[in-house]
Amino acid sequence: MSTEDVNAQLSEKFPGRSEQIDQLLSLLGEPTDASPGCIFVYGPSASGKTTVLQSLFSHYQAGETRMAYVSSVECFTARLLFERTLNAWAGHVPSKENAYSNYRKCDSLVDFVARVSELLGDEEQAETHYLVVDQAERLRGTSVLTSLVRLSELLGLRANVCVVLVSTVVWDKFRVRHGGATDPTLVFFPRYTKAQTLDILAHDCPTGEPPGFFLTFVDALYEVFHRNSTSVQELRHLVAMLYPKFVQPVFEGQATRSEFSRLFKLCQPYFSAASERLYLREISTSEWQRVAPASAKNRAEDVAQAIYELADGSGSGIMDLPYYTKFLLVAGYLASYNPSRLDMQYFARGRDPSAKGRKRKRQAEDSLGGQKRQQLLGPRAFAIERLLAIFYSIVAEAVDSSVDVQVQIASLVTLRLFTRTSSGDRLDGVKCRCNVGLETIRAISRSVQFEVDRFLYDFA
Amino acid sequence: MPARGRASSRTRMDVDSADSIDAGAVKKAILNRLHGRTLLPELVGLDAPFDSVFSLLSRTVASAEGNTALLIGPRGSGKSSIVQKSLDMLERNHRGTQQTSGTPSYHVVRLNGFIHTNDKIALRDIARQLLIKQDLEDILIGSFSDAFTYILNLMRTSGDEASMPPVLFILEEFDLLAQHPKQSLLYTLFDIAQSQQTPIAVLGVTARIDVMDLLEKRVKSRFSHRQIHACNAKTLDDFILIARVALSIHSSDQQQHQITKAFADTFNSKVSELLSTESVLSYISEVFDIGKDIRQVLRTFVVAVSKISDSQPYIDIAHVKPAIARERESAKMQILGSISLLDLCLIISMKSLVQSGNSKYNFEMVYNEYKTFMSRHMIAASGGGAMKVYKKPVALKAFETLVELEIVRPILTSAVLSEAGSGASGRNDLLAGSAQGVRAPKEYRMVQLMLEPGQVLELVSQRLDVPVVIKRWAQQ
Repeated sequence: MSTEDVNAQLSEKFPGRSEQIDQLLSLLGEPTDASPGCIFVYGPSASGKTTVLQSLFSHYQAGETRMAYVSSVECFTARLLFERTLNAWAGHVPSKENAYSNYRKCDSLVDFVARVSELLGDEEQAETHYLVVDQAERLRGTSVLTSLVRLSELLGLRANVCVVLVSTVVWDKFRVRHGGATDPTLVFFPRYTKAQTLDILAHDCPTGEPPGFFLTFVDALYEVFHRNSTSVQELRHLVAMLYPKFVQPVFEGQATRSEFSRLFKLCQPYFSAASERLYLREISTSEWQRVAPASAKNRAEDVAQAIYELADGSGSGIMDLPYYTKFLLVAGYLASYNPSRLDMQYFARGRDPSAKGRKRKRQAEDSLGGQKRQQLLGPRAFAIERLLAIFYSIVAEAVDSSVDVQVQIASLVTLRLFTRTSSGDRLDGVKCRCNVGLETIRAISRSVQFEVDRFLYDFA
Repeated sequence: MPARGRASSRTRMDVDSADSIDAGAVKKAILNRLHGRTLLPELVGLDAPFDSVFSLLSRTVASAEGNTALLIGPRGSGKSSIVQKSLDMLERNHRGTQQTSGTPSYHVVRLNGFIHTNDKIALRDIARQLLIKQDLEDILIGSFSDAFTYILNLMRTSGDEASMPPVLFILEEFDLLAQHPKQSLLYTLFDIAQSQQTPIAVLGVTARIDVMDLLEKRVKSRFSHRQIHACNAKTLDDFILIARVALSIHSSDQQQHQITKAFADTFNSKVSELLSTESVLSYISEVFDIGKDIRQVLRTFVVAVSKISDSQPYIDIAHVKPAIARERESAKMQILGSISLLDLCLIISMKSLVQSGNSKYNFEMVYNEYKTFMSRHMIAASGGGAMKVYKKPVALKAFETLVELEIVRPILTSAVLSEAGSGASGRNDLLAGSAQGVRAPKEYRMVQLMLEPGQVLELVSQRLDVPVVIKRWAQQ
């Protein structure tokens, strides 16, 4: 297949990527053409980098033995990366017959260079071998990156090898300290524009649905969501989730396809739920499908209520701690965020914190809204003794002596609700930090009828 | 090397009519040069260093002299080209004798400080390159110089008479080789070169001007102190000449690919025309002024050259211009060009935090800034647009995309760095070092924005869809 055909075919397959495909094709040329030693493909995630490259190389018919695709997530050591590459280039597949062995053992750069020159031979007309490294930013800090950038140089002039690095991070952040390599040829994959996004989503149109209607919906959805995320992946997920709800009234005969604004209005509660719950994956796909479909019969508030309950129900289960442990957790939170100099005011027995003098209040107002308040700076480490003091103070009744508080603290550390900041081998003077957010603490306090907000200093 | 591409041009010539121009071959020849697969036909401004290197190497081959020298020059100045061209020329001169005697009249061993990270690896590779098949495991246990002499003696006995063929050692990244403990490789090589028993030439190639200071005294005393310097192009004219040499069709190309002289002349005049165009010229002089890296210039022409086809056999300026534009763009601004509005708001929040005197900040502070601004200005903007304040988890997700793009980077304290060790150094996300439990929840990890306030303003002004309120906020 000629380059032009590949170009046309791929450009059709990947809307909005024709410029990049054209640039890549002209860089790579025909198989026997010389290619750049290193190409750096970068762009935000979900911009089609990996997909375009993979189908590009499969059109090259290089898929068999001339293209090695490795992800640096999988190949986290130099050895794995080198051996995978050699396997792919040699057409060697680890299987039962060869006892899952690799083509060659290769754990250093010198071996790799030697093996590759062996493998590629010394032909004048060698076809280019490609090595695509995905998530290349993870290779930084290792010598592998430098060696890959200079691979063709290290292999000598005859070797026709092209390394393609794929990353979301710009090249400026890759420059190796020990100079040497030239900058690779850069290929930038921008985020899809609105028109391109709609083109891509048009492929997702369910069978039997009129494409025009579907696209109007997608357009409306894009307008709602593009302000917080322009990722095609996210939008696709939302379309797949929301569209069935959106067209439901049509099937039930409550609205027609021409009444777009009415349909939109019926679907409104789902949209607002989606903007947070679905986008943050707080509701799973199967849970979402159980939510009542939009129809004129349901009131919007009921639907919204149902959705929020769904999300809450899935999240609160993990906080089902024993009664006193909940207090311990709250005490930990207070110890992490309140300054210890105010402990006397808050927790001394027989004093009502809200009735405390004006002095404290003014102090609080002074620093309220400050950029350095503890609420923004995050939890501080506290000594276990302080935690216990607060705990005994906030628990209203005398604690049953059978409750082994120390064991509970240990289990909170195991649950990662507390993190231990002192070193593990220290037995006394243990320090911890509370790892839980304010929302969760509020929910827990509510469940034990404790007003945590009264005890928090300088919170907004 | 020069024969590269011959076979394909033949087959193409059979298909095409005899008098048509084989654009594919032209393209291939030029691309090979642009990618550095073949050497430029002439070295511009490097005649003096080339002569020294060539005479040095050829004296070792011809009259069995032991020679040592260092070739020093900045990156991209043509050091490797000098070496390669010298070796090519030697090969051409000695091809005849090689064929008659059956054994090669000299050997070339190339070491690269980058690959050969210790002396043992280097030694094994020397043996491999000298085609010694013997298992070396037991020799490698002894001292380096013993093992090395043994290898050289193997060569001696394998020849017909007692004399052994000269060996040319090309040591690339010499400075890295000098960092091996005890420098026994360099010591042994220099010692042998000096002692005249075996004719070897040692040519170190490096970009470090202070490389002599890296050598130990005993190594330094065995070195001839011959330094050959290769310089970057001295004038802009020379610089442009290199580009012209790379892009033009030469007489050697003409013979190889059966290109008519008339075509070559028009092609070359078009290239000269292209290089004297205002936009191209200003780009080249920009590169010359900033880095003098000719490889960057050549890289820019790759796309345009690869567009050469039978129907369009000349380099078209229309393809050069976008490539130049691409080179000039700032990648960081490019990747930020299409971030969502929420991301942009977070960036502006961080900018205003910086301006109010915070050198580091965490997500909670950024979100607080964002929320304060939004709640203060929402009433004012309520007439205009549907701007909503996003909840914290949504904002955190947006924040994490910024971290992924490394526009926002976590500040690693020394405690975390020492705890995380070298293994985690590749990770830059918010969770780096979290396994040790030394760090706060990710909302509280201190970060820094990797943009200047000016860049933030530029970013905002580039976009058309930014509400006026946000624009004004950014300009504060």
